[in-house]
Amino acid sequence: MDTFVNLTLNGLATGMMIFLVASGLSLIFGLMGVLNFAHGSIFMAGAYSGVWAYSKTQSFTLALLAGMAVGIVVGYLAELTTVRRVYGKPVAQVLITTGLMLVLNEVLKAVFGPNIIAVSVPPLLAGSWDLGGIIIVKYRIFTIIVGLVVAVAGHFILTRTRIGMIVRAGVQNQEMVQVLAINIRRTFSLVFVSGAALAALGGIMMAPALGAVNPNMGLENQMLAFIVVVIGGMGSFVGSALGGILVGLAGAYTAWVFPEASLAVNVILMAIVLLLKPNGLFGMGGGRNA
Amino acid sequence: MPDVSLPTRMHKIRGLLSLPRSSRTVPILLLLILVAVPLITPSRSMLNLLTEIFIMGIFAMSYDILLGYTGIVSFGHALFFGTGAYMTGLIFARTGPKLGYLFLAIGGGILLVTVMALIIGYLSLRLKDVYYAMITLAFAELFFIIAEKWRSVTNGADGFSFNVPAVLQDRVVYYYVSLVLLALIVVFLRRFIESPTGKVLQAIRENEKRAEFLGYDVLKFKLISNVIAGVVASFAGVAWALQQRFVSTGVMTVDKTIDALLMTTIGGTGTLYGALLGSGITGMAKNWLSELAKVHPIFERWYIIFGLLYIGIVLFFPGGILGTLMRIRSTKNKPSVTISAGD
Repeated sequence: MDTFVNLTLNGLATGMMIFLVASGLSLIFGLMGVLNFAHGSIFMAGAYSGVWAYSKTQSFTLALLAGMAVGIVVGYLAELTTVRRVYGKPVAQVLITTGLMLVLNEVLKAVFGPNIIAVSVPPLLAGSWDLGGIIIVKYRIFTIIVGLVVAVAGHFILTRTRIGMIVRAGVQNQEMVQVLAINIRRTFSLVFVSGAALAALGGIMMAPALGAVNPNMGLENQMLAFIVVVIGGMGSFVGSALGGILVGLAGAYTAWVFPEASLAVNVILMAIVLLLKPNGLFGMGGGRNA
Repeated sequence: MPDVSLPTRMHKIRGLLSLPRSSRTVPILLLLILVAVPLITPSRSMLNLLTEIFIMGIFAMSYDILLGYTGIVSFGHALFFGTGAYMTGLIFARTGPKLGYLFLAIGGGILLVTVMALIIGYLSLRLKDVYYAMITLAFAELFFIIAEKWRSVTNGADGFSFNVPAVLQDRVVYYYVSLVLLALIVVFLRRFIESPTGKVLQAIRENEKRAEFLGYDVLKFKLISNVIAGVVASFAGVAWALQQRFVSTGVMTVDKTIDALLMTTIGGTGTLYGALLGSGITGMAKNWLSELAKVHPIFERWYIIFGLLYIGIVLFFPGGILGTLMRIRSTKNKPSVTISAGD
């Protein structure tokens, strides 16, 4: 029983962590329909610059802010120079953002060096509580809280505020929104930059949990994020959160029963969902090719 | 299709570049030059480099079938390349360097790749095109992880070396073997894209909805494209393994797929020869820039230059080098050697 509770807690924390990485992609890809292959690179930019800021200032709050600031700047530049030109052209989007990924990854290696950089959990969040066999790692609880805040805030902004309404309307019918004298291009830029900021937040949150940052973490996590968005369904922020939890839990349980398969379980989970429900579990029906 | 008017227009515009009008002359001339190379230069490293360019050219051409002729972006193409390479490596390492086993590797590769391409294609091609990119990536990563973890068979990232049949060990012989393979595959792929099936694929690329309304089963044709591209990529993998006499998880990495993507885009998509050109440019540039890296470490980050070049080409020269050259020649938007030759 203790094992089960521990595994579930671990799975939840991992799931929320994956959701944090996926939340930005859920906005950019799930909502706007832009497959951003540079997402992992922006995530990594956030992780590296956050770790750098943390090592300089010893303040995790500053590290979070620095990471997100870098994410915003990189996202804004990417949108301004390239992504803006390819809205509505899916193949060109994949090609162009792949180029961004290559350049960003190499720039990161040039700035921070190609080696693994170790990072520790901030003292306040380090350690764990032991409740009679059930071990609760503090940083995991912190992750779950941050993940929940992002999920709830994101869902609230998208469904209950004016800007969220404009975004959803713009995705449905861009011209109609434009006719209503709303600068939809600027709104899309804002969504893209917000997605980049969330990716960077995911990066700096992930770094202490992994214990280190490395130049390969971008693509790995981007793939995981994509799997989560696909499982959760396009355009659904809450769907992505639940998708993340599902992937996290599945990973945790398989790691206990059959460790070798824990990495494969995500891909298999995605394959099953795509076979049974190509639109994802909570999708709005944007996935199927029609 | 607007391509019908291409020959007449080409007739009007007299050689801005004095390329021959017939699309066969250049490839045949090039082939003759390449046949002569070992007679001119005794340099082994030159032959090795060219052999590598041929093999990666085959890989890039197979990628062009997807990107240039079907209009879909795969991020898991290295999976098929790697399957061919591992098939060859494992069979030779477990048995002996006999030529007969090579056919076993090729046949097994074709079979396995066909099954994988059908399964992955069925899962991903029913959905929007962008899904194909990520789902192929996910499967390629899955098999990469399997290759990494299944150390008893693959020895993971450290890889394993093996002996190849004595005939193929000679660098000059192998140069000609890979050149012949390249020529055969060029002929085969051109036949494929000029066939009715190939025409339907190009129709899907141009306008998928219209092709569907014309009554074509789009999924079926995309699956055919996926299988053909996969099988040709596995041939490239076999040839790669035979040249290197060593296989590691490197053959399965995303970087391999991205290499093919870069080569195809830089050279020019939808032309087949563009992929070859891209392979030549990338191969030469890699060779040259890694030499420069000894001079100054900044050149170790040469992918930045490649990435920027690539972004520039996608944004401003969607036809790549070959496509742009041909546009200058014919002042036409999307020319392609293949279509004009086929009509």
